Amino acid sequence: MSVFSLIIINKAGGLVYQREFQPGLRKLSTNDYLVLAGTFHGVHAITRSITPKLPLPVTAPATTPTTSTPNAVSPSATSTPAPSTVTHSFPNPGIPATGLETMETDKFRLTCFQTLTGTKFLLFTDPTMTNIDVIMKKIYELYADFVMKNPFYQLEMPVRCESFDRNLTGWLRGRA
Amino acid sequence: MSYYFTILSPTDVPLFNIAFGTSKSGGDGIARFRFPDTAQYMNQFIIHSSLDVVEEAQWMNGNMYLKHIDTYPPASAYISAFLTPSGARFLLLHQPPQLPTNNVSSATAGSGSILGSSFSGSGGSSSRASASSVAANPTSPQTEEAVRQFMTEVYENYVKTVMSPFYRQGMEIKSSVFRGKVTAAGRKWL
Amino acid sequence: MSSATKASRIGEELWKTRVDKVNAELVTLTYGTIVAQLCQDYDGNYQDVNKQLEKMGYNIGMRLIEDFLAKSNVGRCANFRETADMIAKVGFRIFLNIAPTVTNWTSDNNQFSLVFDENPLADFVELPDDGRAQDELWFSNILCGVLRGALEMVQMQIEAHFVSDVLRGDDTTEMRVSLVRYIEDEMPPDEE
Repeated sequence: MSVFSLIIINKAGGLVYQREFQPGLRKLSTNDYLVLAGTFHGVHAITRSITPKLPLPVTAPATTPTTSTPNAVSPSATSTPAPSTVTHSFPNPGIPATGLETMETDKFRLTCFQTLTGTKFLLFTDPTMTNIDVIMKKIYELYADFVMKNPFYQLEMPVRCESFDRNLTGWLRGRA
Repeated sequence: MSYYFTILSPTDVPLFNIAFGTSKSGGDGIARFRFPDTAQYMNQFIIHSSLDVVEEAQWMNGNMYLKHIDTYPPASAYISAFLTPSGARFLLLHQPPQLPTNNVSSATAGSGSILGSSFSGSGGSSSRASASSVAANPTSPQTEEAVRQFMTEVYENYVKTVMSPFYRQGMEIKSSVFRGKVTAAGRKWL
Repeated sequence: MSSATKASRIGEELWKTRVDKVNAELVTLTYGTIVAQLCQDYDGNYQDVNKQLEKMGYNIGMRLIEDFLAKSNVGRCANFRETADMIAKVGFRIFLNIAPTVTNWTSDNNQFSLVFDENPLADFVELPDDGRAQDELWFSNILCGVLRGALEMVQMQIEAHFVSDVLRGDDTTEMRVSLVRYIEDEMPPDEE
């Protein structure tokens, strides 16, 4: 039961945060992480746009991740109740589909959480780990508290907030 | 009874002045001082001359309300004082109505005289201010208590007023809301 | 259950369980000092002060929205009416413990008013009596900016301004919010 690492991607697809909590994944160079973030951003957008239209059953396996050997991909549904109209799947406002949410291999599971503002949190965990949504929610809260509320943090820029690091590590350690 | 209330900053700058009469016992709330209209400054003279006494009295005990501290017999003017912790001074001058010279009865006798002309300039036509015990005896415990209530209420409103971000310390209090509140407190207690 | 009732319930729940409270006077005095200082710095040019407050609010809103979403865990609103209820009953509730009334909708559902019964930012405040502040300064203009910044982050471009303020002697404090457009996705739909 372990959280390997966390990546935060801003809404433009740039890597703003990368941190490893436990060894277990192959190390990448900073540049590779940047590429990974950009690639994921693109893949995420593609998976979202090829998500089946809303009236169709959400179980249709329609997405194909490009990396690794995925076992399962869940095309996502909306977090809001589905609109009553069936003629179009993009009711105002916004988007019913969020794109790729999890990707699982026999070595790790990648969970992606995209906030309504477009920021993506990528969490690499042990494939057997449960309750990832709880962890994700807490990470989002810590991010809101220690990154967004830090008046000297410039939006969309790389996160260099020591208190965020500290609280994140502390909380994850407390869980383990 | 006529009242003259003033707030002085810690550096003795007047921040706020108001004159009003009693509203008790059928008073109409209009100030009628014993000085003619042209001599309103007398009130300010008398009040400011009591500052020395205030400065002595403030060390006597830890209370903010110093009660009646000074009297100016020639005008039978009585001064009560209240200190805020920040050093602002609330001073209230009260002056019982002048008794008609031929009236030898006690102070509780009604005073119909309009020797002191109307301070507020709104005419002294129906100037009937019968003196009650509070109004007539400036040093009685009832009066002290009434003044204390008045001062406390003014103090609460004073704090709110100086909390306005546009009020700067030491500036004259021009707020009409505050003036209204002081008038209301005067009507309620004095 | 109407979206307004639902939103009220969410707001109530969050206020009770998830929100750190601070002394109201601290907020009031801090904000008041900022506005007063701006008025001084801009030499009584209240148009500029309004603009500056709006800009400050905008920057706050862009950050605050994440806190709002992280705390409230609410999903995307289905329409602008739901957004309005969310703002009034959840947003204002958790950040200022007030719940302005949503009213005066236009028929196209793109414009509404928020009517504030109380406004913690403006406690104790009396506008300067220089004869102009009463007509020109929108004391709580920061709130307009907060809404604009926050909604922009969730793909809504809006315009917000105050139309009346009790500080100016009006009967109510009212803010008008208009939806300009939904900001399209970062991916243009037919880019091959």
